[in-house]
Amino acid sequence: MAFLPTPFDLERPAGTFPVSAVRTTGMWYIADIRKPRAIEQISRLLDSPVLETSNTSMRIPTALRDAAALAVKELGVAPSATALTAAALRTTLEAVVMQAALDDHYERHPEARPSLGDLALAAAELDGNPLANEPEHLRRAADEIVEKHPDASADDVLLWAEARAIPAA
Amino acid sequence: MSQLVLLDNEAVQALGDPAHPKHHRVVSHAQIVASRKRRAAEIELAVPTTVRVEAGWDRTSSSRAFANRLRITDMPLDAASANVGAIIRKRTGVSVPDAHLGAVIQSAPADRITVVTSDPDDMRLVAGDATITIVTI
Repeated sequence: MAFLPTPFDLERPAGTFPVSAVRTTGMWYIADIRKPRAIEQISRLLDSPVLETSNTSMRIPTALRDAAALAVKELGVAPSATALTAAALRTTLEAVVMQAALDDHYERHPEARPSLGDLALAAAELDGNPLANEPEHLRRAADEIVEKHPDASADDVLLWAEARAIPAA
Repeated sequence: MSQLVLLDNEAVQALGDPAHPKHHRVVSHAQIVASRKRRAAEIELAVPTTVRVEAGWDRTSSSRAFANRLRITDMPLDAASANVGAIIRKRTGVSVPDAHLGAVIQSAPADRITVVTSDPDDMRLVAGDATITIVTI
């Protein structure tokens, strides 16, 4: 029978396992399934109906709480500070799950991992940026920018490529 | 500014199959969406449910695990979408999934709509007066 982790199991420190799992599976197996199952479980929880709520003892910085309250009252960014917090948390978790799924995919299929040039082209395409018609220009820009900024993003490459395309005054 | 990125049949198939010749490209688009979401951009990947039927994407199938984990939103064919889709199909003669894509395009509240597709002509046809960005794969 497969080991199905509960949320508690997913919080378990690395290297510790439920007794049943140790009895029935090898450590390699646990390590292999742990992350994908966590991703799936977080994803399922994010898809759950939002009608059920819980009180939480989560502590947040007082200044952040006050800033959120002010943003709700004066800027109308959300119906309540709680709604604002929940929406921000959901957005972050959705991004985390998506990136974890992609990272897991890249581990299994290294050839699927896009280069910075590929990503710059994809970003230009999604935005309808005319640079999408100049893939070689974007790839050169990506090669140039990583020399000085190894952590550059696709959007950084687009900005760099656009700046280079502006004729000197 | 909010952005909706819609996938057509071939984009869905390419995403789900690492051996598909266009897999790498569609993964690049998914990666951009993920990176922008991480920076709190209002951007969403979505697929009309009839496109999912056409592409054979069953969310309960383990063979589609990668696509299932990417938080791609289902756009259901509800009564309102069915009405708009029927009008589009009658006017253009496109397939049901493409007409559904058109209905989503014409009714989505997003500020920018991008369609990742292998059939740009049909997407222009079904978009009607809506302004869309087309990514041809």
